[in-house]
Amino acid sequence: MKRTSKLLGATGSFVLAMTATPALADGTTSGTQITNTVTVNFTVGGAAQTAVQASDTFTVDRKISLTVAEVGTTTTSVSPNQLAAVTAFTVTNTSNTVLDFALAAAQQSGGAGAHSNTDNFDVTNVRIYRDATGAGAGSFGAEDTLVTSLDELAADASATVFVVADVPINRVTGDVAAVTLTATAREGGAAGTLGTAITQTTGANTSGVDTVFADGAGATDAARDGAFSARDDYTVLAAAITVTKSSTVISDPFNGTTNPKAVPGAVVQYCVIIRNAAGGAVANSVAITDPLPSATTYLSSFGVSANTTVTGSTCNADGNVTGSQASGTVSATIPTLAPGDARGVIFRVTIN
Amino acid sequence: MKIFPVAIIALSLAGAAQAAPTVELSSKIQVEKQLVVNGKQQTVLRDPKPVFPGDRLVITISYRNATGKPVNDFVVNNPVPSAVQFTGEASPGVQVSIDGGRSFGPLSTLKVRKADGTIRAAQPVDVTHLRWVLAGAMAPGATGSLSFRGVVR
Repeated sequence: MKRTSKLLGATGSFVLAMTATPALADGTTSGTQITNTVTVNFTVGGAAQTAVQASDTFTVDRKISLTVAEVGTTTTSVSPNQLAAVTAFTVTNTSNTVLDFALAAAQQSGGAGAHSNTDNFDVTNVRIYRDATGAGAGSFGAEDTLVTSLDELAADASATVFVVADVPINRVTGDVAAVTLTATAREGGAAGTLGTAITQTTGANTSGVDTVFADGAGATDAARDGAFSARDDYTVLAAAITVTKSSTVISDPFNGTTNPKAVPGAVVQYCVIIRNAAGGAVANSVAITDPLPSATTYLSSFGVSANTTVTGSTCNADGNVTGSQASGTVSATIPTLAPGDARGVIFRVTIN
Repeated sequence: MKIFPVAIIALSLAGAAQAAPTVELSSKIQVEKQLVVNGKQQTVLRDPKPVFPGDRLVITISYRNATGKPVNDFVVNNPVPSAVQFTGEASPGVQVSIDGGRSFGPLSTLKVRKADGTIRAAQPVDVTHLRWVLAGAMAPGATGSLSFRGVVR
């Protein structure tokens, strides 16, 4: 049968339409039915006929996908004995449906950390918090919720998660503790409870909603396993404090201040130098206690002069903090000792 | 009368069912995949199972004049499903609408007013309806097909 037809086009139409830019979400929600309906109008013998319509429908299947990433690009600097040290992550649901995500924070045992460093210790008391939106969002605080999973995270939505831990006291500058946060997709749909594990639809495609894992491989998980992981780390910055003590005879009852000797009645000055090694952390409120040697008597008229500057191994006479003495023990507190700095404490005794 | 093995028509208009022969029409949605077979790129069409956001679709419209008479003023109207984004590829002669089917024209002539009042050329993503208007007479028994491509949003 020969079909002759020409295609008619409309001439010169110029239509102005107000359209909003369509929102391209991470995808049409799984389970959505998409129907295409086509309508044909025609005439026979000049008379319009009843229009004819045809349809075809399919169901959008479920694609499970997610990412986890550390917030920022730097390690979290911590002090030994620090409590509630925070590493932050974002978990993003790139599936086409709302899901729950089970969360797990694991310590690394050696190996590469997250910032060109090497893990060599574990933090303690590791727990996970979900960052509250609204006031305080972006930093860990009392408004955040202790969690073991994310509840009902919408398609395209992200949540900020804090891994919070304590730092043992016996660590030195440069020690690294790496942690890995893993999020695993779980069924959504029931607020307040963690959904069951999700499995891919194996075997033949069904007429219902099929599920496929489309996630990539994270730090410690495989591609297409319904999970994603990322790494972050804590790096210790400690203050390495050393103390040295020296003494000088100031005067004796016989020579005065000219070449005095350490004989009974002599006045001896002690210089206690506290050094904070360069490259470490600033030390605050450095408390010095120094029991006086036996056979000496504290010279109260001189007092305890603290926070002096130090030249070489000499305490300069410029202390601006007053210490004290009680029951044979001298005490003083250096307010702030920067890395690379040294401060002194001076006091005097007479030899019994 | 020869019976052609084409898909069944669905008469969707309310009212008395037509006993008379009419135009047979079908719409078929398929997913288009690029596969590498023996080192060569091949395009494969398959049923939409499974289908995920981002998948490319080919929608094929097939028709046959089963009225037994010549048919004129044959107009095919296909709204783009809301969860599908038109890619711009369609059988030649297609007219598109970007205003919900009120008016049609070639995509290259259509304009969109943006929220800030400026004008831009219409893009395939703006298209809401497709239409083909066949000129001349369609002989009895004549068949044809039209198609267009979309992407699952």
